[in-house]
Amino acid sequence: MNLSIRVTLTMLAVCLLGGCGFKDIDKRFFVVALGIDHSENEKKPYRLTLQLAVPSPKIEPGASKTQIETIDSESIAEGVRMLKAYVDKELDFGHCKVFLIGEQLARTDYQDVLQWMSRRRDIQSVADIAIGKPDAESLLQVKPISERYPGNTLFLSFGADGTESSYTYVESLSDFSRRSSEKGLDPLMPIITKDSKESFIINRTALLNKKRVKLVLSSSESQLYNQLAKDFTKSSMHGMFEGMDLVVAITSIHSNFRLSKQNDEDIVTMNVKMKVIFEEAPKGLYNDQWGPVEQQLNKEYSKSCVALLKKIQKANVDPIGFGLRYRATHPGNSAWKEWKSIYPNVKFKVNANIRIEGTGLIK
Amino acid sequence: MNERLRLLFAEAVDIKLEVLHNSELTIEIAYIAPLCEENKINDFIIVPFTKDFYPFESQLSTNPDYRKVDDVAKWQELMLRGNVLIEAAGIIYSFDASRIISIENPQTQVESAIQGPQLALSEDVNISLNLIRSMYPSPDLSVEEHTIGSLSKTPVFALFDQRRVDPTVLDSVRTKLTTINVEMLHAAGELEKLLVGKRKHLFPTILITERPDRISKAIAKGKIVILLKGNMFAIILPATFFDFMHAVEDDYDAYWMTRFLIFLRYTSIVLTITLPALYISVVSYNPELFRVQLAFSIAGSRSAVPYPSFIEVFIMLFMIETLIEASIRLPRYIGSTATTVGGLILGQAAQQAGLVSSIMIIVTSVVAISNFVIPVNSLSFAVRFLKYPLIGIAIFFGITGVSVGMFVYIVYLCNLRSFGKPYMRIFGKLRPLEGDIGQVKIK
Repeated sequence: MNLSIRVTLTMLAVCLLGGCGFKDIDKRFFVVALGIDHSENEKKPYRLTLQLAVPSPKIEPGASKTQIETIDSESIAEGVRMLKAYVDKELDFGHCKVFLIGEQLARTDYQDVLQWMSRRRDIQSVADIAIGKPDAESLLQVKPISERYPGNTLFLSFGADGTESSYTYVESLSDFSRRSSEKGLDPLMPIITKDSKESFIINRTALLNKKRVKLVLSSSESQLYNQLAKDFTKSSMHGMFEGMDLVVAITSIHSNFRLSKQNDEDIVTMNVKMKVIFEEAPKGLYNDQWGPVEQQLNKEYSKSCVALLKKIQKANVDPIGFGLRYRATHPGNSAWKEWKSIYPNVKFKVNANIRIEGTGLIK
Repeated sequence: MNERLRLLFAEAVDIKLEVLHNSELTIEIAYIAPLCEENKINDFIIVPFTKDFYPFESQLSTNPDYRKVDDVAKWQELMLRGNVLIEAAGIIYSFDASRIISIENPQTQVESAIQGPQLALSEDVNISLNLIRSMYPSPDLSVEEHTIGSLSKTPVFALFDQRRVDPTVLDSVRTKLTTINVEMLHAAGELEKLLVGKRKHLFPTILITERPDRISKAIAKGKIVILLKGNMFAIILPATFFDFMHAVEDDYDAYWMTRFLIFLRYTSIVLTITLPALYISVVSYNPELFRVQLAFSIAGSRSAVPYPSFIEVFIMLFMIETLIEASIRLPRYIGSTATTVGGLILGQAAQQAGLVSSIMIIVTSVVAISNFVIPVNSLSFAVRFLKYPLIGIAIFFGITGVSVGMFVYIVYLCNLRSFGKPYMRIFGKLRPLEGDIGQVKIK
């Protein structure tokens, strides 16, 4: 073939293919957080709140600028499309790392929202998802003073880059969508509230079934859950010994569980191994025997764990995945049905094994 | 003889045709004066002939420096190479009195090593051969002479270890050297092109070097080295891609440091090829690949730029390439001015004028600097070009295009052969059987 013909053909082919995705970074509007609420309007049940980043070359505390756009719409996808007409640049969800679902919506049905998020290609599966209380819109209006660039405060609260709080349960979109469809493993989400005007509080966790919120854990329960299910080490534990207050910091924690049957009773046995260092302790402890202290701590810890597990059981949700384990270890199609009948009556047993490593002081 | 020579040459004042007499003999001598060392002619011909202590005729027949010339057709060539023709008693002798002007013992400049031989090859083949022979004192070192160029008649020497050389490579080199048909040949690069044969090649498949230590190592590995008269660069063949990424110091310095340097080199070659293309594809197609901070700061600094990202890339790359080219071509005294003007003023000003973003300036300088990390110049030149096709692909296809383009490059590299040997071969030695005496037929 003639060279010039070849060149023209390639050029033609290139012209046919190119062009659809090319959009420069400065012509895009990055959505840094998206809030989805229930609006009061019957015909347009969703209220979308988009926090759009206004990029600036200067990055200093408090210099972050955001633009908030709100719209009520019939469906989420249509709302986003409609919002494009409100702004001058192409909306890009590539950096949208936080999705807030309004409490009211989470209490009714979250499946539609999740469907939209998992289908849209520019939403990353590593994005974090949370419940906004009382609603997502008001949370997105919060402007923290220390924020260096748009959306940073929320990103840092969730990721491992910034603060790592033992009270915050971090849920990613991919994990959430897995949990919402897996039999025997139920989803859960952190709840974000605001205190005054300038900061967020994320210390509670909502447990959901496949459709809506079933149970909200208090902050201490959230921490306990993080320790049990995620082996979260940067946390503390409170205990009493002979009438004195003790607070220990956990340096390493490992937990596992076993499903077994004893005397015709189904038992979930959890083993929790912990190494701790004292953070608050009475003065003479350095010279005492630590054995009885450990025993006492073990006892208290198992008690509070069992209480938490029973509470979760009562709400008929299963975020730790006992059901999934049961299905994995019991073959046959009927395993799931069996588990559903077993779970409400299952007994919990927690064996805590706490080892004190030191008092935190050098004599 | 002189009468015939007068007919053979065009009229030139620098051709000396003399007739000398002494008591016994009359000789005719002929030489081209600028090509010859006058002292040598005096010491070896004129003085012994006129003093006549020892019969000059027997001196001619005993001393091997005077070579008998039987073929009239060779007269011209011998004189043009700086020989003196002597006719005594009807017999023609030639005597080599050539004067070669060259840089005396030059230092390595193109491939410098901090700790390693500092002497480079010389433009005088004898000095180069001296260096190589003294670094490779082996009786197996074979030196073959060929002549290339119908006009320039450049002597070309092929050096190899006759025990270690690969016979198939040697055969193909010999046939190539004898079949090359050009008028002029002056530079090693020219010979490289003639040896490779392909008119349009992207990568150098023959290594050009000035370092005698690299040469002796190559000979020990069974490779063939070609020296050119009047050229301080030698050709080593066959070569693999990894030879081009190898600096001699990798063998001289501490193990972990040199491994790190090698890693650095390969990283920078990937960076210099892909970075402009990746910039386009990430900025214009997949900005979610950046961390959020970076995305916002790029978006902020790009907001002043009126053109799409690829125009920005072209502007900056055009500037840096012209800058590099100018600083190579300029005389050394002006060279530093060019870099100052280009680097400081253009870079800063282009960003402030809103022509390019600040990230693009970093990208450009990374591309330029990491290109200089490649130790062998010919590869670094080849690599300088490689980024442009990738930019073209990135404009239309984004990251997918860049990765496909890189794949195409690797396939092309694997397809390349250097004198029948795979160019992209990592494992396996280039050395055939060892210790098998007389593997190669001497011509």
